Amino acid sequence: MAVASVSHGGFAAPVHEEADQLYLETRELRVQGFLLFMVSDLVLFSSFIFAYLYLRSSGQGWPPPGGPKLDLALAALNSGVLFGSGATMHFALENWKHRNFMKFAGWMVTTIVLGILFLSGQIVEYVKIGVGWGTSGIFGAGFFTLTGMHGFHVFAGVIYLTVLLLQATAGKYTFAKYTGLTLGTLYWHFVDVIWVVLFSIFYLL
Amino acid sequence: MDATLAHIERVLAFVVGIIVFFVAAIALKNDWDSKGIENQVFKGMLALLALGAILAILASVNALAGKGVEL
Repeated sequence: MAVASVSHGGFAAPVHEEADQLYLETRELRVQGFLLFMVSDLVLFSSFIFAYLYLRSSGQGWPPPGGPKLDLALAALNSGVLFGSGATMHFALENWKHRNFMKFAGWMVTTIVLGILFLSGQIVEYVKIGVGWGTSGIFGAGFFTLTGMHGFHVFAGVIYLTVLLLQATAGKYTFAKYTGLTLGTLYWHFVDVIWVVLFSIFYLL
Repeated sequence: MDATLAHIERVLAFVVGIIVFFVAAIALKNDWDSKGIENQVFKGMLALLALGAILAILASVNALAGKGVEL
């Protein structure tokens, strides 16, 4: 209150500078903390991926006889949808940086819809191949564990982006301070990148 | 019917893959000089996104297909 009353007398500028400095310091910490979270998530995925590759290479031929056949055309389209959502998320952040809220909101909604479309495509794939953990041996266990874990991340990402959009609409972020949106974009790109690996090992190798 | 559906899926995957590849490549070019740790991570991820788009394109034309997949 005292600061507000004397703000025209020369105190306002130092207070703002202090706040900006605090924002910059905590911003770095938040970014680093989020990157650490992503590294830990990467370790989690890597563990399962290497376990799957080990089991795959130690078996008598691959895929195991009598196993399901994955649909490459559907997977390629679904991958395109997820990678496309990475592009739309990039547009969303760029439009925020260029102070265009309407375009930002439009691209965010597009990203969320594409995320939901990807999840729908995964469900179609699951139903189509009709296997589960208990019935499909090593292949099914690896496939469902990894794609399911990734699907859960996409699901969490859809909720995360929806919350970010609502927060942005409510004015939580300014065009100068938007670390949360940057971190949301990083998370969504991370989910994309994990799918590049999963798509390769399940459908292309 | 299944063959037609698969054909449509492939065409869509091909088109989306090309769009995503160019978006990722242009974004990477524009962000190339940006500083900061998160921007370095962004650049790596955009490069991998472009790689993913190439893989989707190759899969859509059956140039890459693993064992046990339905073509």
